Amino acid sequence: MSAQLTLQAPTALPPREVPSYLERLWGEGLQHSTGAATFTLVVYEASWLQQQLIRTGRASGPLTGLLEDDLIAAAKLAVPELGLPLSTAVMDQRLAWQLGQQPGAAAAEDQRGQFVDAAISAHMPRRLITLAPTLNHAQPLETLVAAYCPLPEEGGGGAACGDVVVLRGGRQALRDNLAMVQPLIAADLPCWVWWNSSLDEAPDLLEALAPAPRRLVVDSSLGQPRRCIDLLVERIAAGQAVNDLNWLRLRTWRESLAMVFDPPARRDALASVVQLDIDVEGDHPLKGLLLAAWIADRLGWQLQESYPVETDGMGPGIGASFQRSDGQAVQFRLMPVPVGSPKIHPGALVGLRLICAPAGRPPLCVILCSESGGCMRLEAGGMASMELAEDVVPLPNESEEKELARLLSGGHDTTNPLLAAAAPIAARLLPPQP
Amino acid sequence: MDAVLTNPLRVGLRQERVIPPQCIVIFGASGDLTHRKLIPALFELHRQRRLPSEFGVLGCARRPWSDADFRSRMEEALADTIASDPQAWECFAAGLFYEPADLSDPASIVRLGQRLDSIDRLRATRGNRTFYLSVSPTFYGSGTRALAAAGLLADSERSRVVIEKPFGTDYASAQTLNKVVQSCAKENQIFRIDHYLGKETVQNILVLRFANTIFEPVWNRNYIANVQITAAETVGVEERAGYYESSGALRDMVQNHLTQILALTAMEPPGRFDAEAIRNEKAKVLQAARLANESEPWKCCVRGQYGAGGSSVSPIPGYRQEPGVDPNSTTETYVATKLFIDNWRWQGVPFYVRTGKRLPKRLSEVVLTFREAPVHLFDAAGGAPTPNQLILRIQPDEGANIRFEVKAPGSGMRSRPVDMAFSYDESFGEPSDEGYVRLLADAMLGDPTLFTRSDEVEAAWRLYTPLLELIEDAPWQLPVQPYEARTWGPAAADSLLADDGLVWRRP
Repeated sequence: MSAQLTLQAPTALPPREVPSYLERLWGEGLQHSTGAATFTLVVYEASWLQQQLIRTGRASGPLTGLLEDDLIAAAKLAVPELGLPLSTAVMDQRLAWQLGQQPGAAAAEDQRGQFVDAAISAHMPRRLITLAPTLNHAQPLETLVAAYCPLPEEGGGGAACGDVVVLRGGRQALRDNLAMVQPLIAADLPCWVWWNSSLDEAPDLLEALAPAPRRLVVDSSLGQPRRCIDLLVERIAAGQAVNDLNWLRLRTWRESLAMVFDPPARRDALASVVQLDIDVEGDHPLKGLLLAAWIADRLGWQLQESYPVETDGMGPGIGASFQRSDGQAVQFRLMPVPVGSPKIHPGALVGLRLICAPAGRPPLCVILCSESGGCMRLEAGGMASMELAEDVVPLPNESEEKELARLLSGGHDTTNPLLAAAAPIAARLLPPQP
Repeated sequence: MDAVLTNPLRVGLRQERVIPPQCIVIFGASGDLTHRKLIPALFELHRQRRLPSEFGVLGCARRPWSDADFRSRMEEALADTIASDPQAWECFAAGLFYEPADLSDPASIVRLGQRLDSIDRLRATRGNRTFYLSVSPTFYGSGTRALAAAGLLADSERSRVVIEKPFGTDYASAQTLNKVVQSCAKENQIFRIDHYLGKETVQNILVLRFANTIFEPVWNRNYIANVQITAAETVGVEERAGYYESSGALRDMVQNHLTQILALTAMEPPGRFDAEAIRNEKAKVLQAARLANESEPWKCCVRGQYGAGGSSVSPIPGYRQEPGVDPNSTTETYVATKLFIDNWRWQGVPFYVRTGKRLPKRLSEVVLTFREAPVHLFDAAGGAPTPNQLILRIQPDEGANIRFEVKAPGSGMRSRPVDMAFSYDESFGEPSDEGYVRLLADAMLGDPTLFTRSDEVEAAWRLYTPLLELIEDAPWQLPVQPYEARTWGPAAADSLLADDGLVWRRP
């Protein structure tokens, strides 16, 4: 499926005229459309990396908001050019920041919000509201409105299904006009808010856009780990439905680990885990901590303490000890490791090692490695006498938009209970900042 | 964690395909199937978080129940399950509704449409609907017509109809019914359910064959000598005498369940894993299948009927003594038949299919017996080497065995057969979902892969037409032969294979 443009060129309207225009649109022809009773999707689409790549002449436009292959390639080229460590992920905000320090004034057409991924438009949102902040913080607000529908082969019938509203301008202009967004969200339909940017950014905007019961979609790999995990924990504790793309990207790791223990003959080993090691790319530990927290929750471990662990230059690792329900200790280490070709998001997993020591049987060592990276550190030494279960974890190859579309296709008004249980443990695993 | 009974890491990983917001409408909501299978399956999907929050169930039947009546009756029926998770039930039950409706009354279907509109608004179900016809088969045609007349099937993307078996009673009636439902809805909206296809082990036939390279090269007439498909039940007719008297084992089991297993076992590899590619191949192989002797079908089929059996302590009544059964009934409770498939892969390979009630064991399996080694180099412990067999155990003890010869320990070079076994229990240890859980989820997802298409249904009926006509026109040529309850069917069924120098596998 390729991304699609709206059916018609968006109409630029003064902000105050948007509500009445939309009312007319729905009053005239859309009230019986397929999108009439679906949902609203609000997207905060900062796209700082794309904007900076275009501005510095490293990528051409138009600016769509989608992280396409040419942009990823340009970002990867920029990492060594800007003197950043090779382990810097494409979506690491330090890359966008470094690009921001470079000269350049190239421009491209800004199509954010009008360029709807087919996977999303196939669900026919009644309204897609995009907030598109610009690099020029002083840029006044522009509002664009259009009807849209997926192409017939994507499930649409050619007639309009819903509408898109784009608010584009400097961040202050967006703040000043936030009041116009609220009445555009149908009160009687579910509403998703996708914060498609760093969680360090504009907390006031996030707060205003995503109160409960709106369903929040975030990516906890984007932003300071402490801020990200605290936000997850607070929102979940408040009863909001929170979906974390970083957690969803753990799916293949969870599946691969579960598969090792599917045979009942191996199940008992889960009650005798003594050591858990996780290696992650770069210095963003949250994905690894969420995985460890999920394991701890599922196996009924109690966290005793967590502490920073010194490493060889890749930033501090994290150590922790858990207590199993039988009182025995489980040692945990999460270590950042350098990689030559990082994945897109900060803190991707490199490998996992789980050592079980069942009484009266040889120890079992489970090693899972990411497809592209080796995990030599985890495979090193001391395992000759152990039963070894090794596997390569396939990389999920779906875009953010496809992950989001999966959520939109049948969402919940509560947080996934596994994430709800894992997030507070991950928060406690993350040592306090010095 | 003193004892690890289930895999705690597996919990919550079955959420890959979340069902889109919708309302499922169950016609026949006051019937057995609703509280025994359908609501439990939906509740299980809810517990697995595979149903979205925007979901509703609308029960429909003639009884003048209210929403509260429907909820309390379902709650009563599922009391044991609910006890372990009352909060989940509370959440699920909030989406249960009931509307008195009569499929033969157009005004009542119009009212139903209005009720669905209000549920759409209340539950944000996006106008997406699945209609489940759990009603007498005589209403399949008229019911679908009534839904179409009320405009409830007009949107082919957002409405679908699930139809229970039996889909017709013979080739002609299946054709007629297909014409009716296809005049009301597109084929991609019609989901003809066969609950056997919801079984993991039946689906595993596809994976075993087409995800491995070691089986497919020998899966043909060059290596396989014969195929046996068995579905044995220990139970009798139970409370289904009214239906069973008019259907019998051939219509109840062979034409649908066993023929679907035959199709999956014998089909060509699909070009890709999608519903149409798979159903094309199933339809093709069924169109190539025929009775071993179409001109004299009594020579390739045995019908039986169980008589009294058991012991003096626990006697088992014969079929004719069962409540609701005609004391002179000639309905078969056992069928064994021999088929051929006239294509390049299977020409000349006999497929033996049997099913029966009151047999000694409850089991379903597919047994592929390979050709013997061309030269016998070794003495066999059993006198002659046992042919290799691949046994796909569909239920119970789900899994697969490969039987092959090895050297018997000792100084000589004698061979003896051994089994290499794969067991779902030992490898996965988790109970599979009930077939209805899988099939309901697929229907609500609009995925027809595990449902039978019109041409498959018709081909399956056509395959047995000579037998059905014979039973109708000259039943004395294919009489029901008595067999004692808890035995493996009438002796004539053994002769069917003995004529080819074979025996049924004794599981």
